Amino acid sequence: MMDDDQLSENKIAMPLMVQALVDGELDPATARKIENLIAADPALAAQHDSLLALKAAIRRVPQPAISSALRMKIAAIGSPVQPTNTATVLSFPARLASRSYDWRALAASIMVTAVLASGATRLLNLNSSPDSFTMAIADDHRRSLLAASPFDVASSDRHTVKPWLDAKLGVSPPAPDLAAQGFSLAGGRVEVISDRPIPTLVYRHHEHLISLVAEPRHDAGVSEPVDQSVAGFSVVKWSDGAFAYWAISDTEWPDLNDFVAQFRAAANPK
Amino acid sequence: MDEGASLSRFNEVVLPHLSAALSLARWITGNTSDAEDVVQEACLNAFGGMASYDGGNAKAWLLTIVRRTSYRWLSQNRKPVEKAMGDLTDLEEATTISGANINPKLNPETNYLASASVAALEAAITTLPEPFRETLVLRDINELSYREIATMIEVPMGTVMSRLARARSLLKTELEKSR
Repeated sequence: MMDDDQLSENKIAMPLMVQALVDGELDPATARKIENLIAADPALAAQHDSLLALKAAIRRVPQPAISSALRMKIAAIGSPVQPTNTATVLSFPARLASRSYDWRALAASIMVTAVLASGATRLLNLNSSPDSFTMAIADDHRRSLLAASPFDVASSDRHTVKPWLDAKLGVSPPAPDLAAQGFSLAGGRVEVISDRPIPTLVYRHHEHLISLVAEPRHDAGVSEPVDQSVAGFSVVKWSDGAFAYWAISDTEWPDLNDFVAQFRAAANPK
Repeated sequence: MDEGASLSRFNEVVLPHLSAALSLARWITGNTSDAEDVVQEACLNAFGGMASYDGGNAKAWLLTIVRRTSYRWLSQNRKPVEKAMGDLTDLEEATTISGANINPKLNPETNYLASASVAALEAAITTLPEPFRETLVLRDINELSYREIATMIEVPMGTVMSRLARARSLLKTELEKSR
């Protein structure tokens, strides 16, 4: 971005360089130079720390939840639409109707498209329209089944899996071994969902693998398990106040529910 | 691209980023219900324009559409908002000249940032003048890169950097006030 002399002499640019470092926008060589300058200058170090603290604070702002009404409207854009639903799906607020281009024509062309495209009906499943996060989890689970190994660290020893996740992410969910109950810990991996690394445990039950995705939630309330079917997998979702969990597998429902019950009993003993 | 391809592309490219889309629209329009209208319209636009998606960062592509749709929506549905701040150009120049952004005398103690409530953070972000808020949201909430933001809002990367620095500086001042 700039040479050394400019870096050390250009006081004006330094705050922006520190910021770029914190934002992960610098190439490794420049990053090292800036880090050295920060190490030698308490004022820069203070700027650096306060930017890190600010970014960490902003990360706590939650993304708004997608309402089921909106989700249905969006799903309807890309799915075959029942004629009876047409009015609902395409009823834009009246104020949008005054736009300069003809949205009716656009909507009509999408209707044609939707009718022609008969492939994706799963999104129109009203009772269990999965959120994009759950869809991503399903995709990751499927990918893990296809990969050479469904986990990044293979171990039935929770004393190996937990430290590995801790070292990678600085956080790890409870990882009880449930071998006695028929669910043996097989390993762990890191999923990246919505650009966030998320710890995932892998349990084995007979021939089936169960991925347990555990998203750290400082603000999570406690919620009871909810069953969902996503992309052909069974998913059970719940949260215990510290983590939001998704257990996903191609195993039978009773087995998955049993797993969830066992895991909850072991992770949060009453 | 035929309709079937367009459809599966839409499901792949757009659906995973609905939450980011709603988030951006909410920060621009100021409330969730308007943001939902905007996101619905943006998704229609995205579906219609699926062929223009070039395989790059899907989130950046969708958010570009959401942003455009948000501002068009605002211009058609709201009276022009009186600018709370002076002239933007002046502000940006001042920022660039002083280098400013980060006050070197700021107390290195950052506890007030760590302990700021989500409500206080949201309120503080809301008080930012629009160009600064937008840049901050695109970077720190939607997690786009400087380059993606520069491309999206059609300004040089240097402007993205100075707006971001200014936004963060204002945000810290605001949070410090409310501690």
